[in-house]
Order: sequence, then C-alpha cells, then structure tokens
Amino acid sequence: MRSSSRALAAVALAAAVATGAAACSSSSSSTTSSSSSSSATSAASGSSSAAATANLTIWADTTSGGTGPSDLALKALAQSFNASHPGDNITVDFISDANIKTQLQTAMGAGNEPPVFWTWGGGVLDQYIKAGKVVPLGTTSTATYLSNFLPSTLGAVTFNGQVYGVPVEGTQPVYFFYNKQVFSDNHLTFPTTWSGLLSTISTLKAKGIAPISLAEGGQWPGLMYLEYLTDRIGGPSVAKALQDNAPDAWKNPAITEALTDIQALAKAGAFNKGFDSTQFNGQSDALVTSGKAAMQLMGDWDLGSANQTFVNAGKMGMAAFPSVGSGDPADLAGNTATYLSISTAASPAQQAVAKEFFSSALASSDYAKKQVAANEVPVTTGADSYFTGPLAAYQKQIYASVQNAPSFTYSWDQMLVPSLGTPMLTNLQKIFDQTETPAQFEAAMTTAAASAS
Amino acid sequence: MTAQASVRNATTAAPLRPQRGGGPALPKGRGSGVADLVGVIPIGLLYVVFILVPMVVAVFLSFTSWNGVGNPTWVGFANWSWFFHNSPGSAISSTSSIWLTIKVVVLSYVVQTPISIGLGLFTAGRQRYKVVYATIFVLPMLLSTAGISYMWNGFLDPNFGPLVPLASHFSFLNQDWLGSSSITLYVLVAIIAWQFIPFHTLLYAVGRRQIPEVLYEAARIDGATPAQMFWQVTLPQLRYTMVTSGILMITGGLTYFDIIYILTKGGPGAATSTLPLNMYNTAFQQTQFGYSSVMAVVLGVIGIAIAIGLVRGTGFGRMQSQQEGVN
Repeated sequence: MRSSSRALAAVALAAAVATGAAACSSSSSSTTSSSSSSSATSAASGSSSAAATANLTIWADTTSGGTGPSDLALKALAQSFNASHPGDNITVDFISDANIKTQLQTAMGAGNEPPVFWTWGGGVLDQYIKAGKVVPLGTTSTATYLSNFLPSTLGAVTFNGQVYGVPVEGTQPVYFFYNKQVFSDNHLTFPTTWSGLLSTISTLKAKGIAPISLAEGGQWPGLMYLEYLTDRIGGPSVAKALQDNAPDAWKNPAITEALTDIQALAKAGAFNKGFDSTQFNGQSDALVTSGKAAMQLMGDWDLGSANQTFVNAGKMGMAAFPSVGSGDPADLAGNTATYLSISTAASPAQQAVAKEFFSSALASSDYAKKQVAANEVPVTTGADSYFTGPLAAYQKQIYASVQNAPSFTYSWDQMLVPSLGTPMLTNLQKIFDQTETPAQFEAAMTTAAASAS
Repeated sequence: MTAQASVRNATTAAPLRPQRGGGPALPKGRGSGVADLVGVIPIGLLYVVFILVPMVVAVFLSFTSWNGVGNPTWVGFANWSWFFHNSPGSAISSTSSIWLTIKVVVLSYVVQTPISIGLGLFTAGRQRYKVVYATIFVLPMLLSTAGISYMWNGFLDPNFGPLVPLASHFSFLNQDWLGSSSITLYVLVAIIAWQFIPFHTLLYAVGRRQIPEVLYEAARIDGATPAQMFWQVTLPQLRYTMVTSGILMITGGLTYFDIIYILTKGGPGAATSTLPLNMYNTAFQQTQFGYSSVMAVVLGVIGIAIAIGLVRGTGFGRMQSQQEGVN
C-alpha cells in the first residue's frame, strides 16, 4: 500500500511541477483590473501636499543582500526622510537582482505590487504603463525637481512626453576596462579605431594573452558589442527603430555589419578560451586583473566588482569603445540609470509621500553626495564637484562622458519589450559561436518582432 | 540487518496482508462512509487547490495571450499551432526543446539505473567498511543543488579550473565543458546523474535488503552461480523498486531545471534549453505566459501518461506479490 501511494505521489508531483510555473503567476489573473486609473490622474499634478502622511514600502534591487554601499545610501536616505517627515514611514525592501524582475512581474499580475518599485525603464516599464500600473510624474516643467537630473538619463523613463521614474542609482555606461600593465609590457596604447583594435588583438594573441575577456556564459555581456558596433556604424537611430518596432528594423545594414564584425572578432580568437561558459561573477574580471586577458567590455560597475586592490592601485585602464564607421565615438551605451516608479496601487496619500520623497530626497545634492561616497556616479546635475577618493579620476571621466554624450543608448535587453530580449540574447550567442549567420539572426529577430506587440 | 532478521520480517509481514484473493482490503464497519468522506476532505482540498486548479488554469492560459500584467486575451489555438509549427516568435524552437528533453530523460535513465543498482547491491552487502562506502556514496545527496552547481562550475572552469593544467598533457581535457554546443548536454547529464544516483542507490539498497535470504539459499542449493542469482532472483525481486526509481527518474528528468539553469541558462545558444528551461524563459524572461502554458500542459500530459503507463504496464498498480510461495 505504501509504495503504491508513493507512485501516486510521484505522478501528482510531476503534474504539480510541470504546471508550477503557470500556477504561481496565475493565481488571480482576473483581479488585475484594479481601480487604479482613477487615482493615477488625481495625484499626477502632485506637488507635495504636506498634510498627507503615509507608510510605504519601496522594492529595491540589490546584488549584495541589501548591504552594499549603494543599498545603505538608499536606506540612510529613507531614514533621514522619515526623521524629517513625522508620520511618514518609508521602508526599503531589498530584493536580489536575480529575482526582482520576476517577483515584480508576478506581483503586478496578481495586483500585489508595492507602492514604489525599482525599474530599469524601457520596454518592461512601458508594458506596466500600458497596463495602467504606473503613476506619471509630469514633465520637467510641471515637476521641476526632474530638471535636477542630466537630461539624457530620463529618456528611458519618458513615454508620451511624461516622466514615469526618478533615477535612484548611478549611471552605468559601458567602457573597455583593460590591464594597463599588459598594455605597457607589450608597448601598446588603447586603440581608438576598429582597425587599431584588430591589430592590438593580433599582437596580444601572438604573445599568448587572451585579448578580450568575455563572460558570455551569462549571455548579456555579448550584447554590449552589438549595441556599440551598431551605434558606431549606423548611429543611434538604428536602435531607436528597434525600440519603436519599425518594420524590418532588424535588417538594418548597420546591424548586419555589426554582427559580421562580431563573428570576425570571434574567428580571430579575440575572446578568451571557453568564453561561452565564462561568468561575469568573478571569472571574467579575474582574467583581466591576473593578466591572462588584456581587456573587457563592461559596465562601469566593473570598477566595483574587479579586485579592489588592483583597481585602487590605478592598474585598471578605462577607454571608450573605438570608432568604427560614421557613428559618433562619443556616444554611449549601457544602463543610463536605474529608477524608482510609483505604482497606481499606492493610495493617494502614499503617492503624495512618494513624490515628496522623490523631489526632496532622491533629487537632492545630499543624496548625490551619498551616492558618490558609495562609489556610484550620480546623474544629478553639478555632481562632478563631489568626486574625491581613490576612484575620483574614473568617476569624473564617466560623469563627463555622460554629460557630453550626444546619445546614450539604453541596454537593448532593457529597452526592448521582454518578449524580444531572450530571442535576441540566445541568437546573439549563436552568432558568437558561429552557429548562426547574421542573416539567420536577422530573420529570427524579424519574426519575433512581428509577433511582439 | 542480518539474514535472520529479514526472514522474520518477511514472515511477520505476510499475515497482515488480506488472505482472500483479490479485492481491496476494506476496514470492518462499512457503515462509516460519511466519516470516510470527512477524512478525505483535508487532503482533497489540498489536492484541488494546489494541483487541479493550477492545471486547469494552465490549460486555460494556453489558449490566451497574457504578459502577466493586465487581463489575458483569448487567442484560441494560436499558441498551440505555434508550438507544433516550431514557434516562429519564440527564442528556442519547441522541436529542439522536446528532443533535448527526451535526450536528458533517456540518457539519465540509462546512465543512472545500472550504476544505482550496482552501488545499491554493494552497499546492501555485508563486506567490511560498508558504512564508510555508503557514507561516501550518499554525500552528494546532502549538498544543495546550488552548491553542487557552483562546485562543478569551478571544477570545469575553462580558465582557472583544476583541469586546466592537466589539459596541456591530455588534450581530451582541453574542452569548454559548459560552453560547447556539442558536449555540454552530456556534461549536464553526468552532473545530474552524480546528484541523483545516491538517492536511487538508497532505494535499491533497501529493496535488496527486503529480499528474503531463503530465496538465495534455495538458489544456492540448486547450484545457481552468482550471475544466475542476480538475474533470476535479485532483479525480479527488485521489480517494484525499479518501477519506483524509474518513475522518479523519468518524471524528474522531464521537469529537471535547477542545475541546467544555474550552469548554462539553456545555453550556449539553445544547446541545453530543455522544455522546462524553455518554459521558464518564455514565461518569466519573455513574459509570454500563454505560450509557456502550452509547454507546461504538454509536459504535464507527457509526465502523467508515462507515469500511468509505467504503473499499469508493470503490474505495479495491482501490487501482485513477487514472493509467492516464499512462506
């Protein structure tokens, strides 16, 4: 008897596991038509109405269990806001970077979203806006505190002229980070042109050094090559067309050329051995800092994730992506910033308190200084004078490049609607592996884009 | 446990079984039908809430288009025709996912079963240091899946792993174990086997110890060789253990997710993107819950069909005794 019930349990278990993914997200599929849109408009004009007090929770992203310097800066900001606003109580719930998108998506679907949530802007945020889930904050003229931020950093949260989020973490543009020692040992300077990069690669290769460390095991690091090459070859309008899902946007000649260049790099052995299983989490950094590889294309968070002794000793070089075609080499790609948005599930009082928090705390120079102390590069205007400490030189360079960038293309996997992100990363990895041609990539993405709304 | 003890177990267990042939053993006092029903309510509720309702919802969602926010819209059979026509809008073709899943299931079964039987029989024996060996065999069971994944990730690291210095001497070690479209699936099958063989070894060890020693004594008196005893006594007696272990391996292999997700995320490209990985990506990365529900339903139906087939086809469901005449 016992073993037959075990068999039954096995059958039931298999069924439960198989339907599990659908189960946890579908618990209340029909309750999502909330009473949200009415409250959204009433509070939209909201300058801070000092009378309203409320408790509210912020869902914030963390890569270090809520104990990283930038996490603590946000927490301290909320605490000082609570101290100066009696009756209000803002708490910050830190959610692991690996889970927060899924958790938020599930909460949004079930109508359990927090009053204030973390976002990267772009296609995911747009999806929530279209579902009536996000409170518009106004424009830089109706909500003047928004002009405290560098204009290029609000693009990712601006839809139909309305701003839907406020920068919470520093900007994260992508650069080449390189081992200065390796370059000087081989009498090289960092190249500023594509042909220069190719000859640098062949020089390094001949010395037995892996020219470029690539953490393609995570699939997203390869995307930065496509983003930069496309921009350098065809300018920012190519990516804009992708975001707007223009017909045949994926068949742009600039993308074809970018994909061809990537395959040429891979064929020339530019990337480290086993790049397809190399992870960013430690491995790809260690390749550069140990001198086994010479450089890595990475977001500026690399300054915080690479060996700190190495970085603080000034051994890490930082350079812009070389110029390739007619695109402006001052253009940037990466995460312009991360943002906080207010959900329409928040009560009018909560919305007012959240806006007060945005304008008096997040947009303040005080928070910008806290961010600098946490090794972030804030996107608040005038923050360039705050940089001191061992990373100041890098931070000033980053801030200036963001300030001067004619265009700052948002990471495509955040910019595009989610249904295109995975096909893009999967097919791009096949490009790096030479198991797919640029034409096949473009055909696959065109089909996927046609079925995406 | 000594041979004597297991014989005693076998004999004392026998009278508990209903002696009349066939028919379920009903408790005395048939009038308590209402009480029985009341007793079923708690587990029945749990079953309905956590198994039946999600399954019905998944079937419903498979006919809709839903991004997880807002309301699902009815699209009829569009998702299903996508699935069976190789899903043009999906990152990973459903056909390749199904083939990968079948490969994982079949290879897992073929690799794990013989090793588990071998180790199980070995640890059920009476040799010295048996406890030491058994402890070593069971070790992977004590580790968390994430721990196992990170351990193997470090071991197979193509740049800093312990195999790298050896690779210059043995060229077959010069592989990108977790990033190759040709071998990574087999590496994953091996790691999954490493994780689960201990559990199945335990099943077989227990199964072996429940075989009455008299059967072997009788076989020995008849002059059977060890090989004959294995084929004629041990294996037939382990029949239900094999079915249990087989169902767990096959249904487990169909839905296996953790190690593959942590180590390769289905990559490189789509080389290890089995149906559960594809389902997860489609639902939570691409937010296409309708289409991913099709995969969930397909997985569920296949899993249930295989489990029922195994239970029925092997006589497991009827619980016929394998020990007729022993007592």
